[in-house]
Amino acid sequence: MKGTWERMHTQIQSGEQDGPLTERTPEAVGDDSLQVETRGLTVEDSVHLDACVKCSICTAHCPVAQAYAPFPGPKSIGPDAERLRLEGVELDPGCLAYCTNCKTCEVVCPSGVRITDMILRARRRQGSTGTESAEGWLRIRDHILGRAEYLGRLGTVWPGLTNAVLAWKVTRRLLAKTIGISADAPLPEYKRRFFPKKGSAGNKVVYFPGCFVNYNDEATGLMVIKVLEHNGFEVVVPGFHCCGVPLTANGRFREAEGNARRNLALMEPYLEQGIPVLTSCTSCGLALKEDYPKVQVPVAKRIGVQTYDLFEYLWLLHERGELKEDFQPVGLSLAYHAPCHLKAQGIGTPSLRIFRLIPGVKVEELDAGCCGLSGSFGFKAEKYELSLQIGRHLFQRVRQGMREGNFRAVITECGGCQVQIRHGSGAQSLHPVWILAQAYGLAGKTE
Amino acid sequence: MARYSAQVVIIGGGATGVGILRDLSLRGISSVLVEQGDLAHGTSSRFHGLLHSGARYAVKDPVSATECIEENKILKHIAPGCVDTTGGWFVQLPGDEVDYAEAWLKGCETAGIPVQEVPLREALQREPLLAKEAARVFEVPDAAVDGFKLVWENAKSARRYGGRYLTYHRVEAILREGEGVAGVRGENLLTGESFTVEAGIVVNATGAWADRLAASAGASLEVVRDKGILLAFNHRLFHRVINRLRPPGDGDIFVPHETITILGTTSEWVDTPLDNQPTGREVERMMALGKALLPAIAGKRVIRAFAGVRPLHRSDSELAGGSDGGMGREVSRTFALIDHEAEDGVKGFLSIVGGKFTTYRLMAEKVSDWVAAKLANDVPCRTATEPLQPELPAHLSRQAKVLLPCAAAGKMLQRLGQDAVPVLEAIARDPGKGELLCECEMVTVAEVEKIVADEDAHHLADVRRKTRLGMGTCQGAFCTYRALPLMWREGGKYDPLSEELVRFLNQRWKGIRPVLWGDQLRETELTRAIYAGLLALRESGTNGDGGTLCGMD
Repeated sequence: MKGTWERMHTQIQSGEQDGPLTERTPEAVGDDSLQVETRGLTVEDSVHLDACVKCSICTAHCPVAQAYAPFPGPKSIGPDAERLRLEGVELDPGCLAYCTNCKTCEVVCPSGVRITDMILRARRRQGSTGTESAEGWLRIRDHILGRAEYLGRLGTVWPGLTNAVLAWKVTRRLLAKTIGISADAPLPEYKRRFFPKKGSAGNKVVYFPGCFVNYNDEATGLMVIKVLEHNGFEVVVPGFHCCGVPLTANGRFREAEGNARRNLALMEPYLEQGIPVLTSCTSCGLALKEDYPKVQVPVAKRIGVQTYDLFEYLWLLHERGELKEDFQPVGLSLAYHAPCHLKAQGIGTPSLRIFRLIPGVKVEELDAGCCGLSGSFGFKAEKYELSLQIGRHLFQRVRQGMREGNFRAVITECGGCQVQIRHGSGAQSLHPVWILAQAYGLAGKTE
Repeated sequence: MARYSAQVVIIGGGATGVGILRDLSLRGISSVLVEQGDLAHGTSSRFHGLLHSGARYAVKDPVSATECIEENKILKHIAPGCVDTTGGWFVQLPGDEVDYAEAWLKGCETAGIPVQEVPLREALQREPLLAKEAARVFEVPDAAVDGFKLVWENAKSARRYGGRYLTYHRVEAILREGEGVAGVRGENLLTGESFTVEAGIVVNATGAWADRLAASAGASLEVVRDKGILLAFNHRLFHRVINRLRPPGDGDIFVPHETITILGTTSEWVDTPLDNQPTGREVERMMALGKALLPAIAGKRVIRAFAGVRPLHRSDSELAGGSDGGMGREVSRTFALIDHEAEDGVKGFLSIVGGKFTTYRLMAEKVSDWVAAKLANDVPCRTATEPLQPELPAHLSRQAKVLLPCAAAGKMLQRLGQDAVPVLEAIARDPGKGELLCECEMVTVAEVEKIVADEDAHHLADVRRKTRLGMGTCQGAFCTYRALPLMWREGGKYDPLSEELVRFLNQRWKGIRPVLWGDQLRETELTRAIYAGLLALRESGTNGDGGTLCGMD
C-alpha cells in the first residue's frame, strides 16, 4: 500500500483554479452569502464542539488512522477541523472521504462528541458530489456504489447472469480500469430478490430488510420472518427503499434524505399505532435510530424509539417472558464479530445474550475491531488494500481460531462484515438468525 | 558592547513602532527599532482584533470615524492576508435608545461609512446564536485583523527596505547631546550585553510606557493606562463582528478572530503597563454583559481571558470638547504626536501616543512626515498603496494543498509568506514533517521547526505568536511538550529548556485561571495530568530544575 499524502488530494486534479490565498474569507467561499452561512452551528453542535478536550482517544481507536498514517484521524478532521471550517477553511474532500463512517470514534469518546456527524456535515457542505473522488470516472463510481438499491434491482433481474458476468476477470479488470472498483474486492453475489409472502395474522411488527437481504441474501430475510412468526408475530414488509447509508457514504446526502422521507412515509401508519420496526442489518438499524429522527417530518420523532435490532427486540421479549424458548440443543462452536454499527447503537451484543439461552451453543467473541469494508469503502480501488489492512487483526484472529479448531463459522449481523470476513479469512460467515432458526428447528442443519 | 547607528531610532515594537520603521525605510531613512520583548507582545496583540469601520465612533467621535474607514480600506488593500473581511453588524436591542440609531446613521453617512440594514429574519438565519429579540440590524465594513501577523509583516517589509529591529533589547536611557538627543543606550536581555544606538532622532512609540520613557529624557507626557479585558471563546460563535447599536460601552462587541471569538472589553485606569491580569470578577462581569447579544453565552466555552493596557493621551481622555492647547499637539483627537522640542525643549525627540490599532498606519505616516521634514527628506509616503506582503506565486498554493490535504495549508501560507517555501520543501522531502504538531490550530512539525530556528524567535512564546501554536482549544496541553525536542535541536538557543517549558505553561495558565469552569476546567485537568503527573513538574523545583507551575499542582 502506497502511503502517499498525494493520494488524499483531489481538488487540483478536478480542475481547481489557482487563486489568491483567501480561502478564509467568506467572499472566497462564494458570492451567495447565504451559502456561506450554512457554516453556522446550531446550539447543539456548538455544545459538542466545546465538549472536546482533545484527549485523542477517538484517533487512537480509529480503524483507519491505525492502518493508514496519512489519515490524521477523527479528532483532526472532526472537532479540530470544525473550528477551522467555521473560519471558512475546508480540508481537501479527498481527506474527509477516508472516514468510513464506522462511528468507532463516537463510541469511545468520553465527552459525547458527535464526531462523525461533524465530518459528514462537512462532506455534505462541500457538496462532495463532484470532489471526493478526483476524476470523473471515479465520481461515476461513487454515484454507482451509493445506489445499492438500483444495483440490487438490476442485479436481481437475472442474478445468475449478473453474477457470472461480474465473476469474469475481464469484467472486473474493466471496472477497475474505468471506474475504480477494485478488481479484487469481494462484491457480494446477487440472489433472487427478497419477496416475502403474506403470513398469518398476529401482533404486527414491521421488518426493514435492507438492501443486503433484498438483493444479496433473501434466505436470511425469509428466516427472520420465520423466526418472528414462530413467536406469533405478523410481519409486515412495506416496499422500503434503501435506508440511505450507502448514499451518505458516497456523498449523496440529498438523495439519502429523500430515501429517509419515503421510508418514513411508508412506516408512518405503523409508527402511529406504536408498532415496532425491526432491522436485521445493523447499519440500517443505526440509520433508523439516529439519522431518521433528524428528518423534518412529524413522524420522525417516533422512529428513533420504535426501531429495534432484531435480537434487541427478541431479548426484550425474553425479559418480558414473551420469547418462545423451546430451543433444541445446537452443538456448534462459533465466533462472533460485533459490527461497528451495532456497537454504535449502544445496545451491547443482544445476539450473544440470546445465544446463551440456547443449549449447546459455544461462542467466542472475537473483539478484533473493524472488518474494514465499511459498506462500499473497501470496494474502491484506491481503498481496497487499506480495507484489508484495517481488517487484518480480525482476519488473523479468525484464521487462528479456525486453525486451532475453536470454531467453524463467524456469526455477525452485518452483511458487509460477512462478505469481508469470508474474503479476508476464508471463514464461513452468517447472520445470527440462522443459529436461532436451528434452535427453533426452523432450518435444516446449519453448516 | 554592541553599537548601532542610524538616522532614527524608534523605541517600541508594537504596531505603531513597526509601522514607523516601515514607513521610514520606504522613504530611504535609515532606522533601527528597539523593543524590550518580542514584536507585538504588548497592547498590539492584546485587543479584540477588530479592524474598525469607524461605525463605533460615528456619533461620539467623527474624526476617528473618518480616519477608521479610510484606514480600514487601506489595510484591506495592503494587507489582505492579515485581514479577514467578515463584515460587521450593529444590533439594536429592545431598550436601546431608538434615537441613537438615527444619530448613528447620520454619523456613518457623514464619515462615509457604508451601512445597509439587514432584514431581521435573514439576520437570525445568518447568525443563529444572536439574540432573537434584536430590533434592528445594520451591516458595516468592520473586519477582523490579526495583530501578530500585521506587525510581523510590517517588520519583514521594513527589513526588505533596510530597516532593522532589535528585539529583547531594553532601552535604559536616552542619550543627550546639548539640547538634543543622540540615541539610546540599553541592555540586550538575551545576552546581558549593553548596546547603544546612535541617532539624531528618537521616536518614542512605547505605548503604555511612553510617559516613563519621556520623563527619562526630561520631557513631560501624560499617559492614561486604560486596562481592557477580553474573553476568548473556543470557536467562532458569530461569522461577523457583532456590535451593540448604542453608545459604546463595556462587553458589547464580539469579534470572530481566526478560529476563536473575542468578547471585549472593559475600561479601567491602572497604574502600570504590567497590570494585565484579568480577574475572576471581571470575567463574570463580561459574561453577564455579553449575554445581551449572545443569550446562550453561559454554555459557551471560554478558553482564556486576557487584558491589554491602552495608552491614552491625557488630552484624549478629557471630556469631549476639551482643549488640546499646546504647540505641536493634536494630530487629531484620536492620537497625539508630541514634539518634545516644542513642549520641553528636547530637540529631535518625538512621542506618539493614543490612537488605535486600526489607525496605526496613519499614525506612522504622521510621525514619518515629521521625521522626514526634520531630515529634509521629501520622498512621499507609500505605505497606503504598497502591499505589505509580496503576492505569493499560485503554484505555491497548489503545492501546499497537495502536500497538506488534511491541514489548513492556506492559513500556513498566509502566516509564513515566502518562508513557506523551505517549509513545503521539508514536507515534500519527508511527509512525516507534514504531521500536525499543534493540532488545534493545525500547525505542522515543519512549520514549527522553521520558526524555532528563525533568528527572531527566542522563546516558545515568540514561536506561538508567529505560528498560533498553543493558542487553540487545548491551550498548549499537547503542543508544548512536542515543541521541546525541536527547540533542543537548536543547540542551546532555548536553554534551559525546562524553564522555557514552565514559562510557556505559566503564560497559558495566566489566561486560563480566571475561566476555570465547565469544559475548560476538564481540559485543564487533562493538562495538569500531563505536566504535573506524567512529566512530574512540581510547584517548587522537585523536577531538579526549579520548574514552577503556578497553582497547577
